[in-house]
Amino acid sequence: MPAWLRSRTTRDVLVALIVVFGVGSVAMLLAHASPIDGFSALFNGALGNTSEISETLVQTTALLFPALGIALAFRAGLFNIGAEGQLLLGGLAAGVLGAALPLPGIIIIPVALLAGATVGGLWGGLAGFLRARFGANEVIATLMLNVIAALLATYLVGGPLKEPGAGASETPSLAPSAWLPTILPDTRLTISFVIAIVLALALRYVFTRTVFGYELRAAGEAPEAARRAGINLSRTALTAMALSGAMAGLGGATIVMGVLHRFNTGLSPGYGFIAIAVALVGNLDPLFIIIAAFAFGILQSGAIAMQAEAHVPRDVVGIIEGLVIIALAGRRIVASRKTS
Amino acid sequence: MNDFGAVLLALAALTLIKATPLIYAALGGVLSERSGVVNIGLEGILVAGAFTSVAVSFWTGMPIVGAAGGVIAGAALAAILAFAATRLGVDQIVAGTGLNIVALGGAAYGLVVIFGQPGASREVANLGRTGEAVLIVLAFVLAAALWYMLFRTPWGLRVRACGENPSAAETAGIDALRTRFWAVVTGGAIAALGGVYLSLAELDLYSDGMTAGRGFIALAAVIFGRWNPLGALGAALFFGFFAALQYTLQRSGIPSEIMQALPYLAALVALAGFAGRVRAPAADGIPYTP
Repeated sequence: MPAWLRSRTTRDVLVALIVVFGVGSVAMLLAHASPIDGFSALFNGALGNTSEISETLVQTTALLFPALGIALAFRAGLFNIGAEGQLLLGGLAAGVLGAALPLPGIIIIPVALLAGATVGGLWGGLAGFLRARFGANEVIATLMLNVIAALLATYLVGGPLKEPGAGASETPSLAPSAWLPTILPDTRLTISFVIAIVLALALRYVFTRTVFGYELRAAGEAPEAARRAGINLSRTALTAMALSGAMAGLGGATIVMGVLHRFNTGLSPGYGFIAIAVALVGNLDPLFIIIAAFAFGILQSGAIAMQAEAHVPRDVVGIIEGLVIIALAGRRIVASRKTS
Repeated sequence: MNDFGAVLLALAALTLIKATPLIYAALGGVLSERSGVVNIGLEGILVAGAFTSVAVSFWTGMPIVGAAGGVIAGAALAAILAFAATRLGVDQIVAGTGLNIVALGGAAYGLVVIFGQPGASREVANLGRTGEAVLIVLAFVLAAALWYMLFRTPWGLRVRACGENPSAAETAGIDALRTRFWAVVTGGAIAALGGVYLSLAELDLYSDGMTAGRGFIALAAVIFGRWNPLGALGAALFFGFFAALQYTLQRSGIPSEIMQALPYLAALVALAGFAGRVRAPAADGIPYTP
């Protein structure tokens, strides 16, 4: 057997494909639809023409930001299960600033993006702080922070930030100067896609070529050895969680500024959780994560077409994504939990 | 009885109603974690119990069969996690997250396939007032029974040994993987009763999002209750009280989101504050490979 076929990554991709087509087919048959019709509707709906491909790339982008953040935390041995909440609050920050400040785009776009990353980073950093300072388990902490973030956003949008003319669960529309410029005319694909790709490439460099990347990996894979080598584990945990949250928050900001043009409490259909699967399928390597995000982007954007044309409930995609996560959960045991 | 007394009585009743699903979910979590498997999928198990019990009651017209179906669904979902955690040695947190996504997707899919409509099921025959009362009382009985089983019987000692030090347990002749597997599956069955209560006792239908994060509050109750069934019972009642208070104070001007956030904030504080004094079972969340 050639080496590439024996490799862990190849095996995982095969497992993921078997789950997608196997479980997907069964679920389609149970819904009295032909799997051939279902999958062809799905792939046609995701990749059939330019506007559908661009919509798939919009979904890819939305998954890529939180997945990169989750991968960074994973590398440090930390499980950021709170990307969903960080993404939501990052989007809220961008939505509030973008609607409130009538500034030219050259100023407001970077400011609002930065605000999203900052707020997401603070929310992730809070979990990192609780872990670094009090030894609180970051898994439970980020789970709790997810729910608190959702309640906080609902409260702020429906209460103190309520504006006349805005719906109950959304902020007013952003000033057009705060909209992210599109890179393809007549689509929703914006420069956020480029930002996400550049971020992935930069992260790959950081992971493989910098001292910080080495420290992350040391803290994640051999915390005791890292500590003895003088790496400050508390600081690494705090930094990793803050950066992880910042990436999810930036992703939330780009959804608000590029896709919805206002903040809505329902802006994410679970991107922060699906991104866990993306990060795992991508083997925590930013280059592979780009490919994985595109694959999951196809599922996300094709689901609606599949429902409309082949009469398969779009929630089949949720079942598939969850099973892929379970099937690939074996690939990474978070090292810090083995020793702490 | 004066008005104040009536309000208090209503508050106490509502506390029981709001606490019951949390008690079941938290007890399931305690059993699982005592054996060494963290179950982040409690929310998904609540969904499975709530949805399946309604679907089975719809098919059979017999709510009691529906309740049994819900329990079996919860146990089956937990068995996926149990198998992955014991035989595949996977990361339990990752697998539990997947479990939640599968259950939510599965229930939404089931609504369309079985009831032909997204969002919510039709109304079905439910367990009635008697059934609701039985489920509330059973939650307390189960908490006491689980405490006795875990801390006063050889079975409980074995389960706890697997959660503290599975290789020592193996040395003493206990099949650690088998013990963990059945603890997680039984925990799933218990937690699913919380879902059954939500859809088939408190209400008579399943709707998307009806579990509303209760599985996560239950995780908090496990920690707050220090991995002890009676402690978890107390924590679930405490959180149930806040949920009830939120309904009672609805017109008081206190934003309901703040009241809803209290259990989660309390859990964060507990997590940070207890960390030094209270600890999870030593091998909680760590895959064991013989």
